[in-house]
Amino acid sequence: MLEQASNSVLYLDGVSVSFDGFKALNSLSLVLKPGEMRAIIGPNGAGKTTMMDVITGKTRPDEGEIYFDGAVDLTRLDEADIAELGIGRKFQKPTVFESQTVLDNLELALKTPRGPFATLFHRSSAQERARIDTLLEQIRLTGRRDELAANLSHGQKQWLEIGMLLAQDPKLMLVDEPAAGMTDAETAETATMLKEINKTRSVVVVEHDMTFVRDLGVKVTVLHEGSVLAEGALDHVSADPRVVEVYLGR
Amino acid sequence: MITAFLLRAFDGKALVFMGVLAAFAIAIPAGNLLFPPDHALHVPVYVVSLLGKYMCYALLALSVDLVWGYCGILSLGHGAFFALGGYAMGMYLMRQIGTRGVYGNPDLPDFMVFLNWKELPWYWTGFDVFPFAALMVLVVPGLLAFVFGWFAFRSRVTGVYLSIITQAMTYALLLAFFRNDMGFGGNNGLTDFKDILGYSVQADGTRAALFFASVAAVAIGFVIARAVTRSKLGKVLIAVRDAESRTRFLGYRVEHYKLFVWVLSAMMAGVAGALYVPQVGIINPGEFAPANSIELVIWVAVGGRGTLVGAVLGAVLVNFAKTWFTGVFPEFWLFALGGLFVAVTLFLPRGIVGMIGQHWSALRQRRVSARAEAGSDEDPREGEIANAMNHQAAE
Amino acid sequence: MLQIRSFVFALLIAVSALAGLSAPVLAQNQSDLRSLINELAKGRYDDTERQIEAIAATGEEAAVPALQALGSNDLMARKSDGAVFIVKKKSGGYQLIDPLTGDVAGEAGRRDMERIKINNRLRRAIQSALGELTLMSKNPDRRRQAAEQVFKARDTEAIETIDAALDAETDPGIATLLREARAAAVLNSDASEADKIAAVGVIKARGDQEARAILAATADSSANSGQTALHDAATRAQSHVEQILAAWNAAQNVWYGLSLGSVLLLAAIGLAITFGVMGVINMAHGEMVMIGAYTTFMVQEVIRNSAPWLFDASLAIALPLAFLIAGAVGVALERFVIRFLYGRPLETLLATWGISLILQQAVRTIFGANNREVGTPSWMSGLTEVGGLTITYNRLAIIIFSLVVFGVLITVLKSTRFGLYTRAVTQNRRMASSMGIRTPWVDAMTFGLGSGIAGIAGVALSQIDNVSPNLGQSYIIDSFMVVVFGGVGNLWGTLVGAMTLGVVNKFLEPYAGAVLAKILLLVFIILFIQKRPRGLFALKGRAVEA
Repeated sequence: MLEQASNSVLYLDGVSVSFDGFKALNSLSLVLKPGEMRAIIGPNGAGKTTMMDVITGKTRPDEGEIYFDGAVDLTRLDEADIAELGIGRKFQKPTVFESQTVLDNLELALKTPRGPFATLFHRSSAQERARIDTLLEQIRLTGRRDELAANLSHGQKQWLEIGMLLAQDPKLMLVDEPAAGMTDAETAETATMLKEINKTRSVVVVEHDMTFVRDLGVKVTVLHEGSVLAEGALDHVSADPRVVEVYLGR
Repeated sequence: MITAFLLRAFDGKALVFMGVLAAFAIAIPAGNLLFPPDHALHVPVYVVSLLGKYMCYALLALSVDLVWGYCGILSLGHGAFFALGGYAMGMYLMRQIGTRGVYGNPDLPDFMVFLNWKELPWYWTGFDVFPFAALMVLVVPGLLAFVFGWFAFRSRVTGVYLSIITQAMTYALLLAFFRNDMGFGGNNGLTDFKDILGYSVQADGTRAALFFASVAAVAIGFVIARAVTRSKLGKVLIAVRDAESRTRFLGYRVEHYKLFVWVLSAMMAGVAGALYVPQVGIINPGEFAPANSIELVIWVAVGGRGTLVGAVLGAVLVNFAKTWFTGVFPEFWLFALGGLFVAVTLFLPRGIVGMIGQHWSALRQRRVSARAEAGSDEDPREGEIANAMNHQAAE
Repeated sequence: MLQIRSFVFALLIAVSALAGLSAPVLAQNQSDLRSLINELAKGRYDDTERQIEAIAATGEEAAVPALQALGSNDLMARKSDGAVFIVKKKSGGYQLIDPLTGDVAGEAGRRDMERIKINNRLRRAIQSALGELTLMSKNPDRRRQAAEQVFKARDTEAIETIDAALDAETDPGIATLLREARAAAVLNSDASEADKIAAVGVIKARGDQEARAILAATADSSANSGQTALHDAATRAQSHVEQILAAWNAAQNVWYGLSLGSVLLLAAIGLAITFGVMGVINMAHGEMVMIGAYTTFMVQEVIRNSAPWLFDASLAIALPLAFLIAGAVGVALERFVIRFLYGRPLETLLATWGISLILQQAVRTIFGANNREVGTPSWMSGLTEVGGLTITYNRLAIIIFSLVVFGVLITVLKSTRFGLYTRAVTQNRRMASSMGIRTPWVDAMTFGLGSGIAGIAGVALSQIDNVSPNLGQSYIIDSFMVVVFGGVGNLWGTLVGAMTLGVVNKFLEPYAGAVLAKILLLVFIILFIQKRPRGLFALKGRAVEA
């Protein structure tokens, strides 16, 4: 078991969370190998967002173990610690700092010392500016760098958030419904973007959109009522009668 | 590093504001000291003190704006930091009375003699030395803010909850300072001051100097606040204000940032209180009243929160109105103040300066998009839409 | 020494007798009694003794002062007509006091009066006569009062009388009192150690402050006289009584605490509803309480001027009016101000603060800045004692009233359609709205309900607090503390929060003083909020984050 943990970038074992008697996660176990991209699907209330919450330290699990990079116990750390360790998270609803410019948003996310005094006396270096330019290129927002984030379209905000995630330079990226509310063209572009990102880091994608998941072409985990229902290639899980029942039955 | 940091505060707008302050700082004392009383340009000494008081309020407003306007922490207890700074200064001034008190006791202030105390409480030690007292003006409010903020921010107490417990904090202090056995003069507070740094507090020259010091304090407070808000830390603060949990997921320890700006703000409020006390000649527990702390929030709201100039302007305008009303229609002042609270929150959410800034940038946007229209096929209305969205986002 | 003591005894009995003279003595009896008293001055000791017995036989309490005066050599006969008076020394003579009515009946020179002489035998006769007139009076209240007085006097001389009274006593309560009085006297006498130990047992059973004092004195005196068994018994009994007293004291504190808690509950409950449902803090909530109190004042003014006989019903009339007026102000506030600030809780706080300033100043302009007098209906004044507890009726009424209000509110929220809507909006506003609940209507009604309850809280508070424009201000911070401590969105939390804070406050007060207790409580809540930011009974789960 420990060996399994040490060979993984993310290791969840028997994780349970309940809110007022409702079990949001029920003995959930999941292992992500370094460099892997995993898609998580499941109906509403399956526990996808809660899973993200326990990994990133927003919610503490009632029981179970969560290890990052084989050794770090995430259940003892808070959001800021976990983010600094190298786990980035993109929310379901795009959350960028709307009253600041695209440039500021990226600058805030950039991997630099996070303490108040470091930021108080911080002066952006040429290196940082170059890094931001690269990122802007990558998320196709070069032309809007001085625009307020509030003025971006919905899709552009999603991209900006992914850009902020990249700026953090995380080892593991948790992406919650990146394609929600996007046009077909944007969706396809996002899939390409994620595959590009996966070249250098591990990624967990939570998604409803099956076309998008198919585009990604990675191993799929199906969550249901807080635990894993099925795991494997998309074609394999979609042939599983239990998965079909969960999605179509009742 | 510090110089570079502070230099960041200066740009065209800041220089204009500093210029206005400098002119003010020189003209008022000069008008008092250089012209004889019957001269048309003479500024009576009570006006000097009154304006000095406004300047203290302006600094206090700056401190509130720093936490509320930039970090979204609505403090209903900043009066406490102001009053603590005031008490620290008041204690120094009490010790300067020496044997000139009613009872003529060289060590004990009158109220302690009256209470039959035999010696100075330990926490009064050192307050006869100005540098120590001046240090305490920063340390005492800063320490209270640190302890309070440490607990509050770490436990993620936010929004109205935080506002309410800051109010409880100042209320608890109000009750505490009313007690005679606290050793701060109880109900009557500290008063009957004689000298500051060896000069009579009543003298015109001292009053002019105190006024000058108050304007200087506002200028310094402004520079520090501007340098802070224009730094990367300032951007983090705004990020915290707009999306606290997102900031946390970026790896920023939000509680440390809040604590930093909270303590800085409390110290600024303490300085404002310290300058206020010698100019009004008294400090009593009434300064801790929760109503005072709420009132000063409206100064910032009127001027425009999130704009430093707005905070200063708001403090001066509202207090000028207060002076005028209480002189002419005393019974209507509370109606006016209450109406101001309602009107500003309903109709002027960004305050005077914020509103002007909004119109100005709308104008500029239009010009920019007009130019863009000539050069490219971009939607000319985008500037307006952007501006409208901008407005929404800021709310 | 003994004489002085028996004099005190007699005096106490006399005083209590005077206090009992509420019923008019019949003229017939009076004249009979007067002649009997006048007879006292005639004849020799034996005759006087017979007269005393005759007076005792009448059972007339009115004779007590005369007998008491006789015992202290203050009863004299006027030489001119033989009329008997109680006298008081004055320069150059006496002031004459009618022995039956107690009225001043003129003056007399020293030579005009003759003292009625007594000896020791007569003194005993007087004692027993007094005992018969008081301890053996036909009126049980009278006997009870007399027994209490005898208990306090601890007169060894009275033991015989008490024994006699005990034989005749039929009321078990009074008998117990008499036994206690006897025991107290025994402990004061030179009775045997065994008797005294038995007496200690009786006193211990009484278990109040006086018992403690007697036992402490006994423990001291027995230690001095070397009666170790008695000393042990007294000491043990004393600590037992002290425990009982401490328990009563705690109970009294709980009572005061509940009383304060009920006031806090009344003030906070409306706030809890608006805060819970709408997430906004209404800083003008205290002013709604004030409006309720001034409504009570207005109602009483009208009643005083036009229908004074309705006064006892004034609160019942004020309640619905206060609810309607404060509720209407609340609805107006929601419609004209708060609804435009939805989603901006901090600004709502500021705007409602502005409203509160306006309301305060308006009341100050209309009614003046001074306190207004609000009367207490007769049924709410007075007090009763339960064991070691003192319970005032107005506090009791407020506790009951606050619980009734709470119960009604819980019922409204649990089992009416409006309550269902309100709970739905509290838990998930967007969902409620999409299910067809008119959330703006729910908001306005909730605000009206919360404000209306603040109004009726004002009616109650007018009974125990000063009605002034600042009334609301003094409750607003406490109310917030209660809501925040109890947890938002849960009325039971508010109930528990209010009662806990009330009781804790009253328990701290004896040690820390009222102001410090309050400071400690505020500090405690500040710390508590940091530990449990959402209060005692918080809603959990994802709903909170939304």
